[in-house]
Amino acid sequence: MDAQPTPDPALEAAQRAGFDLNLIDCNLALSPEERLLRHDAALELAQELRKAGELRYAPSAPVAATAR
Amino acid sequence: MHHLHQLLQRLADAQFEFVVIGGYAGVLHGSSLVTNDLDLCAVLSPENIAKLRTVLADLHPVHRMTHKKLSFLDVPPAGTSLANLYLETDAGIVDVLTNVLGIGAYARLRQSATEFPLFGRRCAVISLEDLIAAKEAVGREKDLLAVKELRAIAAKRARS
Repeated sequence: MDAQPTPDPALEAAQRAGFDLNLIDCNLALSPEERLLRHDAALELAQELRKAGELRYAPSAPVAATAR
Repeated sequence: MHHLHQLLQRLADAQFEFVVIGGYAGVLHGSSLVTNDLDLCAVLSPENIAKLRTVLADLHPVHRMTHKKLSFLDVPPAGTSLANLYLETDAGIVDVLTNVLGIGAYARLRQSATEFPLFGRRCAVISLEDLIAAKEAVGREKDLLAVKELRAIAAKRARS
């Protein structure tokens, strides 16, 4: 029977911290250029979502008083 | 609209010598964490500052840490050296440091930097080991979290 490979403490620590080890494998399979392009697309999406959130929760502008 | 990779390409084309550091270096090494800015280490001599001004001129660079967002095209006056630059441009945020905590200045970083082929150019990027040491030296919670992923990347690289 084959012995189980020794678990790597660094991989275990990353997993415990919430990192998806499969996602790391996916990133490592990409070229450096692809990593940057994917990152920048994710950053752009995050910024769009942030902007949408700011618009949604921004206090509405005060209504100008009108004389009767 | 932020396109950090385009900023990086511009700088690489400008005969401006730098090492990519920070979260964007982490991305190049395989990190999944998203960063808002491009961090570089370079010598901020008057000559290099002049080169940076030329490269960034049409991107409206301003000193993002100043109250009035002073234009980098006007401040500092020509002939000045700087320790750090924190800029906001139309293409994103770029910070340039002359020294990285826990590692040292540009020459030290460049010595052990990894060269990545990027968009037909070669870019010097802080080595994975130095990046881990730098983030540990800064020691903020977010840096220590990033270190866990970077250590996992180093372990996976060692196994492959």
